[in-house]
Amino acid sequence: MSVRWLSGKVAAAALTLLFVIVFNFFLFRVMGDPTDQLARLPRATPEEIQKLRGQYGLDKPMLGQFTDYMGDTARLDFGISQRSRRTVTDEIKDALPWTLLLVGTGTLLATLLGSWMGVKAATRRGKHSDQALLGFNLFTYASPEYWIGIILILVFAVWIPILPSGLQVTPGTEFSNFFSQALDVAKHLILPATAMTLMLIGQYFLIMRSSMVDVLTEDFITVKRATGMRWDRVVNRHAVPNALLPLVTLSAIQFGAVVAGAITIETIFSWPGLGELTYQAINDKDFPVLQGTFLFFSFAVILANLAADCLYFFLDPRVQGR
Amino acid sequence: MNSKRIRNIAAAVIAALALLGAMALPAAADEQGDAPVLSIGWAQDPQTLNPFIGLDEEDYTIWAINWDLLVNFDPEDLSPAPGIAESWKVSDDKKTVTFKIADRKWSDGVPVTSADVKWSLETLGSEGELFTSYTNNVTSITTPDKKTVVIKTSKPDARIVGGLLIYILPKHIWGKVPLSELTTTYQPSLPLVGTGPFIVTEFDRGRLIKMDQNPEFDGKKPKFGQLQFIKYGNQDAVERALQLGEIDLVPEVQASTFKRLGEQDNIKTVDSPSPAFTELAFNLCPEKLCPDAQVNPAIRDLPVRQAIAYSIDRERINQIAASDTSFVANGLLPSYYKSFYEDPENTYPFDPEKAKQILDDAGYLPGDDGIREKDGDRLSFNLYTRTRSESAYNAQAAKLVAEMARDVGIEFKVQEVSVDKLTELTVRQVDGKPAPDFDAFIWGWGGDAYDPSFLLSLMTTGEIGGSSDSFYSNAEYDKLFNEQSGEFDVEKRKEIIHRMINRLQQDLPYIVLTEDPNLQAYRTDRIANVEPTCPSGDGDIFCEQAGYAPLLDLAPGSSSGDEGSSGNGVLIAIIAALVIAVLAFVLIRHRRRRDEPLEVEEETLEVEEQPDGTDGEEK
Repeated sequence: MSVRWLSGKVAAAALTLLFVIVFNFFLFRVMGDPTDQLARLPRATPEEIQKLRGQYGLDKPMLGQFTDYMGDTARLDFGISQRSRRTVTDEIKDALPWTLLLVGTGTLLATLLGSWMGVKAATRRGKHSDQALLGFNLFTYASPEYWIGIILILVFAVWIPILPSGLQVTPGTEFSNFFSQALDVAKHLILPATAMTLMLIGQYFLIMRSSMVDVLTEDFITVKRATGMRWDRVVNRHAVPNALLPLVTLSAIQFGAVVAGAITIETIFSWPGLGELTYQAINDKDFPVLQGTFLFFSFAVILANLAADCLYFFLDPRVQGR
Repeated sequence: MNSKRIRNIAAAVIAALALLGAMALPAAADEQGDAPVLSIGWAQDPQTLNPFIGLDEEDYTIWAINWDLLVNFDPEDLSPAPGIAESWKVSDDKKTVTFKIADRKWSDGVPVTSADVKWSLETLGSEGELFTSYTNNVTSITTPDKKTVVIKTSKPDARIVGGLLIYILPKHIWGKVPLSELTTTYQPSLPLVGTGPFIVTEFDRGRLIKMDQNPEFDGKKPKFGQLQFIKYGNQDAVERALQLGEIDLVPEVQASTFKRLGEQDNIKTVDSPSPAFTELAFNLCPEKLCPDAQVNPAIRDLPVRQAIAYSIDRERINQIAASDTSFVANGLLPSYYKSFYEDPENTYPFDPEKAKQILDDAGYLPGDDGIREKDGDRLSFNLYTRTRSESAYNAQAAKLVAEMARDVGIEFKVQEVSVDKLTELTVRQVDGKPAPDFDAFIWGWGGDAYDPSFLLSLMTTGEIGGSSDSFYSNAEYDKLFNEQSGEFDVEKRKEIIHRMINRLQQDLPYIVLTEDPNLQAYRTDRIANVEPTCPSGDGDIFCEQAGYAPLLDLAPGSSSGDEGSSGNGVLIAIIAALVIAVLAFVLIRHRRRRDEPLEVEEETLEVEEQPDGTDGEEK
C-alpha cells in the first residue's frame, strides 16, 4: 500500500518535471531569436549571423531542435553560455553553493525563530505579546525583500558601518587559513541572511501560530492538563510536536521555491549565487543560462515537494494508513 | 538554579568569548600585501580575457592595460604615440608604412619581435569579433627582420598609424593555440603575458580581476602595486561601495546619481567627453533603394528636418534627460576628437520661430489640430526609442523631442521598444533589399579612440545594408570620406572632415543631440595625483580603454589601504552585547518560570476561554 503511495508521488513528480522541460523549450523559442541582438554588432554580416545561428543549432527545423534539446537535457548538458562561453552546468555549479549557504541559513533561522515565536504567540493569544509578535510578522511578511535589504544596508553598512554592504568575501584578501576565510564569509553573510530570514519568517510564524491554536483547543490537551502535568511541559511535549506538521511541509516546499526567490536579495547584496546569475543572464539575454537556471529552479521546487511528501509519510501515521 | 544549568551557561560564555577572540585575530593576519592596491568597482565585468571572443565594452578596460597597440595613443591629445613600434615612416605614395619595433620584453621575459606584430594583426585582425574591420585595406604584412614590420595597403589608409586598434599579443603563446579554439572556448592561462604595466594574475569571473605589476615593464614604475576590479551585483551597489570606502574608483557612474555622488565627503566626480553620441535619426532611404520601406515620406523633405532641428533645444535635453551630465553636440563628430573637430557652419541653435517660418515657406500649414500638413501629407511621425529600463536617457529625450516639435506643429508619436525590436526595424529587409520600418528613432553610436573614420563611415553609401541606419547617400560625402581616410596629414584631414560634417549638417540625416559623457568617480583620500587625460585637461581619470599611461601617475592617497577594519571593533562590541542580552534573558526567564507557576495556570484558562477570538484574521 505505502509503496504504491510513494511510487505514485514519484511518478507525479517525474511527470511534472517532464512537462516543465518541454514547456521550457517552447518558452525560450517564443521569446525570439537570440542572434537578433547581434545584428547591431558593428560589421556583423548576414553570413556571420548565419554562422552563429548554425553554432547554436537555430538553423535546424523545430523538431530537430527539440530532439537535440531533450537529448542534451537528459545528459545534463544545458549548452554554453552565450556571454562567458562556459558550460551552463559549470555556471550553475559555481553559483549553487553560495545560494545554498544563503538560502539554507535564511530558511533555518526563519523556521526556528518563526516557529518559536508562533508557539509563544499561540500560548499567549490575545495578549499584548501576541499582538506585538503578530504585528511584527505581518509587517515583515508584507514588506518586499528588496526594501528590507536596502534598509538593512542603510542601517548596518551606512549609518553604523559595521558590516559590508555586499559581496561574499572581502575582495582580494589572501586568507591565512580556512577559519579566517569562513569568518570573513560569515561576516558578509549576516545582512543577506537577515534579509532572507525576515522575508520568510512571517509565513512560518503565521502557520505555526494557527496550527498551535488549533492543537491547544483539542481535547487531549485538556486531558493532559487535567492530569496535573506542568503547562510548559504540555506545550513542549504534546502540543508543539503535533502542531509542527504543517511547518515541516512548508519549510520543505519553501526551500525549493526560495532558491529562486533569492534573486532580488542576491542582486542587492551582490551575492554571487543562482539569483545573481539569473539576473545577469536576463540583462545579457543569455538564453542558455536562463534556460538552465529556470529548469534548475523548477527541478528544485518539484524535488522539494516530493521531499515534503516523503517527510509527511514518515511523520504523519494517517498518511501511512491510507 | 541547578548546577547543570550554570555549567551550560558558563560553557556558552566561554564559546562566545572564543568566537570574539577569533574574529579579532584574523583581521590582523589577512593583509592584502605590502604595495598599495587600487580597487575599482563595476557592475559589469568581462566574461573572458580572450580578445578573439570578447564582446563587451569592459573587456577593453583590461586589454588596454595588459597589452599595447602597435601605435599607442598619446594621453595628451590621443594622437599617435610609440607603442610596440617606436617609430614609423609613411612612403611617398602613402600605401606603405614601415614600423620599427621597440626593444621591449613580454612579461615572461621573451623579447617582442616583428613576428608578434604580424601574427596579431593578421590573426586577431581577421578573426577577433571586435577587430575585423581595421585591416580591410591591408594587402600584405612583411617582416624583413625581427625589428621591422612593413604594412602595405591597397589605397592610402590613415588608420594604419593611430587607428589600428588591434592589440599585439605574444605569438609564442597565442600562436600555439589552434584557431578553432581561439575563436571559441580558449581561455588564456595566467598570468596573462603582456607588455603593459599591469598584467592579469587572477580572473575570477563575476567576482574579481587582479592585475599585478609586470616585472618586465620598462616604463615609469606604477605607484600602485596591484589593481583590483571588483564586480558588484548592480550599479547602486558599486556607488554605495565607493561611498563606504570599500573601493577607490568607479569607472562608470550613472547620470542620475552623478551629482549626488559628487557631493559626498572625499569623493570627486569627473565628467569627460567620450567618442560616443546620441542622435535623432531619420529614415532617408530613397524609394529606388528601399521600395518596401515603411515611412512617412514627408520626413525625406529637407525643410521638415531643418524645422525639427531648429525646434529642438538640445541644451534642455541635456539638462532634463541627462541630468546635465552630457555635452551638447554640434554635428556628427564629437568634440572629443580634438585633432579633427571644428564647429560646423550651421549648428541649428534653438529657434522655434525660425522653424515655423521654414515650414510656412515650404507650404506646410497648421491643420485643425495644430499639426501641419501639405497636400494631405501630415507631419506626423513615429519616433522609436529604447525602453526606459534600457536607456532612461533616450526615453526621456524622445518625450522632450516630441514636446518641442509639437510646438512648431510637428507630431512625433513616441514608442518605447526593446533594443532587439529597434534593431529589427532598422535592419528589416524585403526581397534582399533594405526595407526600414520607421520614420525616426533615438539611439547612439560610439567611435574609436583617435581615428574618426568609423563614425564618419556611418553616413557612407557603402554602409547601407551594413551599419548605416539613416540610409543616407551622397556622392560628394562618399568621395570626401575616401579622401580623408587616406590622408596622413592631420591638418589636411581635419579640413576635409570639416567639409563632410558641413555637408551632413546641411542634409540632416541625423540630428546629433548630445555627446555622451564618461562619468567617473574616485575617492580623494585614496587616490592622489589625478590629472584628467585623454585628452588632457578635460579627459577621464585613467584614460580608460585607450591606454595605460595615466595609470602610472596615479598615487596612493592619504588613507589608502585601511579599508573597513575599523568596523570590526564595533561589530565585536555589538555581538558581545547581544550574547550578554540573550544570556540575561535566559537566566531571568528560567528564574521566573520556577518562581511563578500560578501565572501559567491563568494562561491555560485564557486559551480555552477564547474559543475563536483571533483565529479568523490570519486565514
